[in-house]
Amino acid sequence: MKTYKIVVLGDFGVGKTSLIRRYVLDEFSEAYRATIGVHIYKHEDTLEGDSLDVSLVVWDIEGAPLPGDQTRRYIMGASGAVVVGDLTRDDPFSAMWQAADMFEEVLPGRPLCLALNKSDIASVKSPETVKRMTRRYDCPVFETSALTGDAVNTMFRALARSILSLGL
Amino acid sequence: MDLQPNLLTATLGIVVIRLDDDLAVVDVHGEIDGLSPGDDIRESMPVLYGLEDALAVPDVDIAMPLIQTGRNNDEPVSLNIRRDPDTGVLWLFRRDVSEESAIHRQLVQNHNSLSLAQAELVKARDAAREADRTKTAFLANVSHELRTPLHVIIGGASILSKTGERRPDPSEVLEYAADIHESGVLLLQLVDDLIDLSRSETGDLTLYEEPCDLCAIAAGIVSLCRDLPEARGTRVEGVIPPGSVGLTGDARRLKQVLLNLISNAMKAVAGRTDAQITVTVDADGPRLIVADNGLGMSAEELAIARQPFGQPRAAVRAKGAGLGLAIVHRLVALHGGDLVIETAPNKGLTATVTFDPARAKPLAG
Repeated sequence: MKTYKIVVLGDFGVGKTSLIRRYVLDEFSEAYRATIGVHIYKHEDTLEGDSLDVSLVVWDIEGAPLPGDQTRRYIMGASGAVVVGDLTRDDPFSAMWQAADMFEEVLPGRPLCLALNKSDIASVKSPETVKRMTRRYDCPVFETSALTGDAVNTMFRALARSILSLGL
Repeated sequence: MDLQPNLLTATLGIVVIRLDDDLAVVDVHGEIDGLSPGDDIRESMPVLYGLEDALAVPDVDIAMPLIQTGRNNDEPVSLNIRRDPDTGVLWLFRRDVSEESAIHRQLVQNHNSLSLAQAELVKARDAAREADRTKTAFLANVSHELRTPLHVIIGGASILSKTGERRPDPSEVLEYAADIHESGVLLLQLVDDLIDLSRSETGDLTLYEEPCDLCAIAAGIVSLCRDLPEARGTRVEGVIPPGSVGLTGDARRLKQVLLNLISNAMKAVAGRTDAQITVTVDADGPRLIVADNGLGMSAEELAIARQPFGQPRAAVRAKGAGLGLAIVHRLVALHGGDLVIETAPNKGLTATVTFDPARAKPLAG
């Protein structure tokens, strides 16, 4: 079984850790505890339809509105990325642009997907911006909820499938 | 520290390593900590931290004592090795126990928590400002709607009270009396609507639920519309199935829903075309549909119409305070139903109320 590294990027408090814990451990906590540095989760999954087992090492990286050199180092060696934004914020996108740009700069051509999180309490206010982002990065977008689990597994599996399709 | 399967942690000053795994081991900088990729972790880690003796002991226990060590003598680091008694997996916790590291971690946590709290406060402040603005606009609207019929009543009464030569002739008296009556009815309707709206906002609007027949309710409204003066020139017809469509609900409030919707439809089509009330029921639940083929509304106008006192362009000259649709929304919600409105400019308007199938109730006879 091949192992792939996935990095999860975005501003702090947008729900990166919650998304990962929903995917890996199927749990959710309301309490906010900042990720400092990086937490690494290992999860084995089977891609439906493909009957294919994959091992994902998911790097939960400290959130920041502007990713710095440390984030750049964490991205190294990743096969794909999830860029997370918080739908409840007035502007969920500016930190997402920054993170996605950095990922593309460090690892051009590697697949990424966008997670618009907290979809259980808010919806997309600017579909035009979402369209621009998906065109710019040629990536899918998912409206996720770590609370309810909506689209969380689908998103990680879609990313794994993209990674596999590139033969990484 | 919370142990989770397959979880490694490399936060500032803390590294947790699972020693039976082939995962990369990262340090606080996210880099291989003193190891080259491919190195056997189980062989290398003890060397790095001077733990050969500890790990050589075959029965390393879950409660192995804390070992103080460090790569450099001036770096305060604690190492704690635990073996999971169930799986036999060996975990190594390396923690930078310096005060500086602890303060740094706390600062990051505090900074993030404060920033998130500040964002919530800004949102709450904006929401409070918006609520205040809405309340002010609401009061201004109420005042305006009250003043217009009151002026008619005061002015009419003033003219009727004149004596002598300025006394109005009998035909004028009837006219002024009719105006005063109509204004009084409008005022009463406005006050009733305001009470309903206010009670629904505060959760005090109570439904008196009983088995109702939607067919009978719809037929009653169709019949009533034929007698309403505002329906003059508008043909209101009912598409009502034979028999009954039972629903657990408040019959008076359901009539109010239909009356408000058909009243809006009549304003939209008066003297022009038709309006229709339809009753259906299927697996998705009972439905009431009120449709007209009048002027319709744009999405923006519909958004205005949904607000209390909202008067879209198409209804500006119509009678009414613009509370009807807002009240319908609340009454439908109280019945656990959904109100969907489909409309477009010059394409008419269809309002569909769908009730929860669980509320459907077969009626005896």
